[in-house]
Amino acid sequence: MLSWRLSSIVGFLLLLMLAAGSKAGGLCAVDALGREVCLSERAVRIVSLSPGATELVYSAGAGDQLVGAGAWSDYPPEARELPRVGDSNRVDLEAILTLEPDLVIGWTDGNSRVQLDRLAELGIPVFWLAPRTFEDIAATVKALSLLTGHQPLAEQRAGEFLAGIRAIESQYETARPVRVFYQVWDQPLMTINGDELISRAIQLCGGTNVFGDLPRLVPRISVETLLMVDPEVIVTAGRGDTEQGWLQRWRDYPSLTAVASDNLFQVSPDLLQRATFRMLDGTRELCDLLEQARARL
Amino acid sequence: MPAFDAFRPLALLALAGLGAMVLSVSVGSAGLSLADTLAALTGSGSELNRTLVLELRLPRTLAAFATGGLLAVAGALMQVLLRNPLADPYVLGLSGGAAVGALLSMLAGVAGVIVTASAFGGALLSTLMVFGLAHGTGSWTPTRLLLTGVVVAAGWGAIITLLLALAPTRELPGMLYWLMGDVAYAGSPWPAFVLLVLACLLVIPAGRSLNVLARGPLQAAALGVNVRPMEWTIYIGASLLTATAVTTAGSIGFVGLVVPHMLRLVLGNDQRIILPACALGGGALLVLVDTLARVVISPEQLPVGVITALLGVPTFLYLLYRSR
Amino acid sequence: MDTLQARQLVIDIPGRTGGSPLNLTVEAGQVWGVLGPNGAGKTTLLHTLAGLRLPREGEVRLGEYPLTEVRRRSVAQQLGLVFQDRQDGFPATVLETALIGRHPWLSLWQMESGDDLNRAEAALKALDVVHLKDRLVSTLSGGERQRVAIATVLTQNPDTWLLDEPTNHLDLHHQVAVMQLLKQQAEAGRAIFMCLHDLNLAARWCDHLLLLFPNGEACWGHASQMLVPSALESLYNQKLITVEADGAPVFVPAKG
Repeated sequence: MLSWRLSSIVGFLLLLMLAAGSKAGGLCAVDALGREVCLSERAVRIVSLSPGATELVYSAGAGDQLVGAGAWSDYPPEARELPRVGDSNRVDLEAILTLEPDLVIGWTDGNSRVQLDRLAELGIPVFWLAPRTFEDIAATVKALSLLTGHQPLAEQRAGEFLAGIRAIESQYETARPVRVFYQVWDQPLMTINGDELISRAIQLCGGTNVFGDLPRLVPRISVETLLMVDPEVIVTAGRGDTEQGWLQRWRDYPSLTAVASDNLFQVSPDLLQRATFRMLDGTRELCDLLEQARARL
Repeated sequence: MPAFDAFRPLALLALAGLGAMVLSVSVGSAGLSLADTLAALTGSGSELNRTLVLELRLPRTLAAFATGGLLAVAGALMQVLLRNPLADPYVLGLSGGAAVGALLSMLAGVAGVIVTASAFGGALLSTLMVFGLAHGTGSWTPTRLLLTGVVVAAGWGAIITLLLALAPTRELPGMLYWLMGDVAYAGSPWPAFVLLVLACLLVIPAGRSLNVLARGPLQAAALGVNVRPMEWTIYIGASLLTATAVTTAGSIGFVGLVVPHMLRLVLGNDQRIILPACALGGGALLVLVDTLARVVISPEQLPVGVITALLGVPTFLYLLYRSR
Repeated sequence: MDTLQARQLVIDIPGRTGGSPLNLTVEAGQVWGVLGPNGAGKTTLLHTLAGLRLPREGEVRLGEYPLTEVRRRSVAQQLGLVFQDRQDGFPATVLETALIGRHPWLSLWQMESGDDLNRAEAALKALDVVHLKDRLVSTLSGGERQRVAIATVLTQNPDTWLLDEPTNHLDLHHQVAVMQLLKQQAEAGRAIFMCLHDLNLAARWCDHLLLLFPNGEACWGHASQMLVPSALESLYNQKLITVEADGAPVFVPAKG
């Protein structure tokens, strides 16, 4: 009897702490800019201003609660039906307001602070995203689910995602390292450094990003630098047809190890260049390609 | 040359300005009817409509009017100062200085009012630089001023490109947004608006002196105009107006060049009429262009500067062709 | 009327040191002619007297005060200057151009009145250009533009006129007309001071002469005293033959 009373008191105290902890606002999460966003009830009219953000909202289970999206929100396919509110860099504030959203999701690398601050001034909660690691992706989805009322579903999906990542990591732990160059753009020639998510994916697959040490996130390099560094594998964005696209120009340099071993690959940018759960599929594909590359070296 | 002749065109322009503003406030991607708009303006109607009209469209319309007016008046003043009907407010490198000021402060991680203040400071710094460099070993002539301005503007352009190349990815959208200009950028249109009204009030009594100055400095001095102080005042005044316009809405081109020129073709060369006409005409034009930019491919939003360039380039070429 | 006076005045010509100081007064009713070869400094003198340039030595006085101490507006009400070269600024009509002559008389907020308009039109009429009043100045011939410039100063109505080669570009008929107009101004109590490159015009119309030599020397006085062939020959470095016509001397350059 005593223990029953004790546990109910403890339970009651816990509830109290929880209630106190979640503030008068109710549902609170901290966004990528370090701001705490609190909603009194779950968001049911969400506007997402970047394709990555849209995907993450669907992953969080809140796809039905979206009422508008920025241009290029194309995944999952249902997202294409959402009313458009302008391009990432220059959104249509009027269109957004007309949708009467109770939450707006922005992406730090794509949307302009000034415009979204204007929305915040007009009383609309703005939640900024900027996932840089796999853990960030999972945490972002969980935060979004908290604000939209789908925590159990999101917890499960996030858990699966992270488990998948861990599995890949242990699978390729002892694999022979391959030196990889990931090409982001052709003219000018751009790549990514070690802080970028794609670079982390390369690491998971047992590869090393030849430009991982450069200070800028998306550095511009010269062709000479690439020739000097001589990667063993070259990966770019594309639909899998290696006869066309940016890979073609590297065939002019047969001395490159990657060219000599025919280690020129393409991975769909939707799978690797968006910080979403599809990174898992993208990473798996990348790892398969790197395995093929190892065989050829 | 009488006051009554002046009233008619000015009244027409004022009406056009008002019409443009009404149009701008009633049109947008949120298809409100005219009745809804009027209701919102008078304080009734749904809260959403009131927010749309009073918090989004109205400040934007006022800012567009003020910016257009400031640029056109500054352009007219520069044309008198340099005695060249093809001068515009940016010819002395001002917008470049403002851009560098704004971008540097964004790189430093600050936002809001400090960015605007840096832009303003950059613009004024550019003005002083050009003026100081053009002064050289003696009197400055319009040609020296113009050439120095062109060179300084090119210098700023190079720095802007450098800043964009070195900026961390996170800051780029904000920087590009500032550079392309947006009439809705400024929080409040009132500083620009008040400045426009003040400028008109101050500049109209000086109008006849400007007319005389436009005939040449020696002729003006012989007729009793204090040439040097007047030139200084015009220069600083035009710079202030332009700096305010650029910090309110970014660099919007062609308004400051084409509006004074077109008004002069129609209304003659009396600055007492041209300057207020520029304020009204420039304002009306920019309001109309901004409305277009907002709705033509809605919900995509075009930067206003794109449309002014698209309209301005052929207009400018046509005027050039006619002037032969 | 406040008279224009040069006191120990040495004009500033770059590269020329020295020069005789000028001490002369341009009194009401007088018509002065300034003669000298190109480069002697006639235009510089005129601009210095108008207050547009500073002298090297000495001063210019308007009435009791040094010119530099008089407000520009006040100077413009008393001194009018017809320039030799026209600076083409913005396009303007003939009437607008004449009207700016009223600028020194109007206060800041004042608009041109009917009286101002009448004066301008009367001035244009006196210079035989009133039929061109709505034409753009840039479309006129050299002679017409010259007459518009003179009409502008007539509209300005100053007490002392300073003119830099006013008969340039003018045909014979208009040359005489302009000279007669200036004579009438002098007879009405104003003072005329003009640079002329035509010796004979000066001989015919001026009652006082100032001779400016290229080395900086100068002499001035009554026309009858100045029109000495030897002085004129040395001024222009040209042998002259003197003839008489209509009671006044005429100087013809000798051949060979």
